Amino acid sequence: MDAYDKGSDARQGGAGRGLPDPRPATPAPASPTGDPAPGGSAPGHPADRPPPPYSPRENPDSAPSADPASLTAPPAEPRSGVAALSLRYQIGAAAALALVAVAVCVHLGMTFLHVAPSNTVSKQHRETIENWIYPEFEQNWKLFAPNPLQQNIAVQVRAEVLTADGASRTTGWYDLSAQDGRAIDGNPAPSHTQQNELRRAWDFFVSTHDNDNRPVGHRGALSEAYLRRIMVMRLDRADAAGPGGTLARVQVRSRTTNVPPPDWSDEKISTTPVYRTLPWWSLPDDETRGGIG
Amino acid sequence: MNRLSLALSRVIARVTDSALGPHQTAVIRIGFGLTWLLFLLREFPHRQELYGPDGPWEWDLADQLVTTNDAFTVLLWSDSQIWFEAVYALAVLWSLLLLLGWRTRTMSVLFMVGVLALQNRSVFMGDGGDNVLHLMSIYLVFTRCGQVWSLDARRARRLKEARARGERPRDRVGPALWGVLGLLLILATLAGRTDSDWFIPALLWTVWLGQALWWLVGRRARSGEPRILLDVVANIVHNGALLVIMAEACLIYATAGWYKVQGSRWQDGTAVHYPLQLEYFSPWPALGDLLSASGTMVMLVTYATVAVQVAFPFTLFNRRVKNVLLAFMILEHAVIAVVLGLPFFSLAMIAADAVFLPTSFLRRLGDLAARACGRPVPRGGRARVPGPRSPADAPADGAPAKAPAPAPGGAPGPRT
Repeated sequence: MDAYDKGSDARQGGAGRGLPDPRPATPAPASPTGDPAPGGSAPGHPADRPPPPYSPRENPDSAPSADPASLTAPPAEPRSGVAALSLRYQIGAAAALALVAVAVCVHLGMTFLHVAPSNTVSKQHRETIENWIYPEFEQNWKLFAPNPLQQNIAVQVRAEVLTADGASRTTGWYDLSAQDGRAIDGNPAPSHTQQNELRRAWDFFVSTHDNDNRPVGHRGALSEAYLRRIMVMRLDRADAAGPGGTLARVQVRSRTTNVPPPDWSDEKISTTPVYRTLPWWSLPDDETRGGIG
Repeated sequence: MNRLSLALSRVIARVTDSALGPHQTAVIRIGFGLTWLLFLLREFPHRQELYGPDGPWEWDLADQLVTTNDAFTVLLWSDSQIWFEAVYALAVLWSLLLLLGWRTRTMSVLFMVGVLALQNRSVFMGDGGDNVLHLMSIYLVFTRCGQVWSLDARRARRLKEARARGERPRDRVGPALWGVLGLLLILATLAGRTDSDWFIPALLWTVWLGQALWWLVGRRARSGEPRILLDVVANIVHNGALLVIMAEACLIYATAGWYKVQGSRWQDGTAVHYPLQLEYFSPWPALGDLLSASGTMVMLVTYATVAVQVAFPFTLFNRRVKNVLLAFMILEHAVIAVVLGLPFFSLAMIAADAVFLPTSFLRRLGDLAARACGRPVPRGGRARVPGPRSPADAPADGAPAKAPAPAPGGAPGPRT
């Protein structure tokens, strides 16, 4: 057996049977740190040890509890690992190993197919992959890829206000993204409310609406309510309604500007902003009074 | 054939006999716990707006979305303010306790519950950093991440010393914690609050029952074998989860890198210029301008970023190259933290990177930390790995495992 020819590691005695080493596992081969004695008080040297009482080679069938010696005499040395188990427990360990190995492989495969570009396999098994991944293992790592965002998208809002004397007036446009930008400037730890809230709410809105700003599906309705509530909250903080006034309707628009190419580039890009203006939205009663956030 | 079976049996021995990477799993436990803790503290003034029942993404909207996507979040169990404040405060507490490694297994479960509660409640508030934490909080549950650098490890040491003096200390906290959490789990299940996707509720039940089994086997089993088997199973699960965590980090880099290869801006060497000019990612505009002042520099950084991200998974086969790239990535994330104003994303990514740090480096780091705390470094100037959780006192395995486990025939339990 060529394993022994190397003569370097007599601990591998069990290899020939394709089973884990039946000897008491010495921590050394298993420890990633090479720490000589993770077991702490392990007495003696592994090489000198007698075989453990329950080595399958010695005692393949008997249940350990049936062995009176095991109840009266302490084991010759601390035992652990598969090696210290009798055959039927080893089968249990092997089953666990197989189960975990399969679960790990399947999970990694599913995750790979989920993050990879749509391909033959992932198209064929789309439903299986989605069932496995959603809801808790969803992920997206296209970080600044394939291209980084090259536009500043500002979300702006204006409101129709009912004043205390019953008249109505329309406010100017509030540039909420510019407010976020100012809050982020010089801020070593920007809040998600400044960095993600509006930006992602707008992404959510765009991805759930068609080009005529009509909602697509239930998520479209949710995104509209969400965006509207952010607008109301922010207008409220800016005291847009003024003393005694209430918000009646809000209108949102986005202003998209290309990031100019670097100075040293000879590329020419239009930096004229492009607007996308949504219809006026009436506010439900509870939102006209504010109290969001 | 013999060579193959030899190699196979060696691998099997490795993954069954010990929970690999005790320092690596400890450092990611500390890293993710710290990231989430700092995030929650930073957002404390904004908590109502982010996750509160009356925030813009109000309770009712979240409830409608979660009904359709079946995600697990305890925050939607009630729309009351008290419940919200309690969950937020507990999420803070749990991340702190996980960081410290107190009842690590139980805390890893609760940490996950806290992360999922807030993130699934308001999915549109998160970014890549939240995504990393979300996944890793689930994976951490499967690991024995409290073997070193934890209160559990210290407790196990003291328990051993007490045993050596012939004392039989009893653990009351563990069973009590287990009992309370079990009661909550039963109540929640009976009330139909765990009708989300089956996975997380099943995981909660599995860990809870597993801890009971561990405790019972530790106390009752006449031979050491059932206990050793459980220990082996816990090792296998730990090692599987460690592999998943490493593969997940590779997937993140590979995805980010390979998609960039296809991007025209990454090809023409100007990509790095653009994020620096975005209103939402430029806390220090002057710094961004400075960094993109030289076209050559921007091109080099752009190409290096893609090359490193694409190459990283393959360098794992060469320790030295891997370490160089790892240092580069950690540095790059530190730069991103400042320049793009993404400290929590960067911290989460650095924590994920840390799983690949070499043990010798982590030990030196541990020694430094111990000295900084004014504590003597144990023997030979090296932080010592306490015996990887013996089945009898299982420091890393949460509540019920703490009970003293009388070994058969009065013999010391295995590996104590």
